Formats: sequence, structure tokens, C-alpha cells
Amino acid sequence: MSRIEAKTDVFRAIADPTRRALLDRLRAGPANAGTLAADFRSSRPAVSKHLRVLREARLVVDTRIGRERVYAVNPVPLQSVAGWLEGYRAFWQVSLTRLKRNLEEK
Amino acid sequence: MSEIKTHARAVADVIDGLIVASVEIARTPERVFQALSSREIVDWWVNPGVFDTREWSGDVRVGGRWHASGIARGAPYSLEGEFLEVDPPRKLVQTWHRQGTPGAPSTLTYMLEPIAGGTRLTVRHAGIAAPDQRNNMSAGWRTSCDRLSEILPTRKG
Repeated sequence: MSRIEAKTDVFRAIADPTRRALLDRLRAGPANAGTLAADFRSSRPAVSKHLRVLREARLVVDTRIGRERVYAVNPVPLQSVAGWLEGYRAFWQVSLTRLKRNLEEK
Repeated sequence: MSEIKTHARAVADVIDGLIVASVEIARTPERVFQALSSREIVDWWVNPGVFDTREWSGDVRVGGRWHASGIARGAPYSLEGEFLEVDPPRKLVQTWHRQGTPGAPSTLTYMLEPIAGGTRLTVRHAGIAAPDQRNNMSAGWRTSCDRLSEILPTRKG
């Protein structure tokens, strides 16, 4: 998977409000699918489906402990996306500074 | 005009693909609006040799089109869009699309409000699409903006 494809998956993954809520929950600490389903009053298959999307986008990592899979947040892909958006943020910051300077010099 | 803040600020919302930026300018809203909606854009979307907007044209009315082109890191680029809301000197809303890229355009909103000694300009750039659609422009701008960031703090605003 190329870096660009991975980033696209990240956007797709975080576009869903339930998955964003799952990420927020996992930031509080690792959990297994059963615990997450109980927390979200959702079916375990539904939660597992969301977790699979998050895992494929590498936003969560799973570790097998005995017979259970425990999920935890992997912060790296979101930082990568943030780095990409940083180009736009910096563009507006420097452009507006330049606009201000131009107008106030005249 | 000591009330006017010296620096522009900009923040990114990663989840929504949104940038919000603001700056205070010691000029009237009418004067600032003119700079946002005229060929003056080539004077501030520019960093010579790195990111250089050479042309801008626009039919500044609701439904009118705008077009900008230039050179970013040696490669030509072309932007275009449509004006959605034209309310001088308070608000200007336009779509923003890089020619030759797939995906829906993003939306650029300028809001101007009078403050003591000048104008507060707020920019909201929303719906910035996934990286595979905008990667090239982003890369060009990131480099140009990084270099501008290095230069600008050493100069007086």
C-alpha cells in the first residue's frame, strides 16, 4: 500500500462519526471488541466491522492476548494527515501576513 | 493603530479538512475586500521563485467564475471556481478547484468585520479533499510556505 492510499483510507475511516467515537474511546485506553460493544450499546459484529476499517487504515493496532484481541490507538497515521493539511494551514498564515504587509505599506 | 495585532494566525481541523485563519489589517473593510476580489491577489499569493501566482481573473458576482494560474516549484498550476456569495465589504464565498484533479471543490469563505483601527479578516477553507486528489499542490505549497515562514518572521509586518 502506498503512502497516499494509506492516507486516503485514514480520511475514509475518520469520516464516520461512530469510528471517531471509537477512536476517542480507545485514546482513554486499550479495549477488546466486547468491551467496546458494551460501551457503545452496539452489536459486537457492528463494532468489529468498524474496528476492521480502523485497523486497515492503521489508526488502531490489535494485540492478541490469550484468546482475545485488544485494540489500541496508533497515532502515527493521523499525524501524517495533519502534516499534509499543514501545507494549507501554513499557506493561509503566510499569505494573510503578506496581504497585511502589502496593504499597510501602501 | 496599536490595537491591530501584528501576526496572522491559522489553525487546521484534521477531521473535517478545514483551515481557519485570521489577520487584522489597519485598512478599511472596503479596501481589504478589494484585495480579495481583484487582480491584487497576484501580489499576496506569491513567493518569488517558489510559489508564484502570475494571473488572476474573476467575474465577481454570484455565479461568476474566477481563475488563477502560476508556477509552483517549477510546475504550472491552475485554480478555478465560482463565486457563491458576494456581499462587499462583509463576505465573499467561492469554490476552489485545481484543474486536472478529481473530486469535489473546496469552499473558501472570507469574512470581514470592522474593528478599532481597521479590519479583522477571517478565512475559512473547508472541505479540503483527500490527499490523493491534492497531493501535488499541497507539496508545492508546503515547500513555498515553509520558506516563506522562514523569511517572514525576520521582517517587520
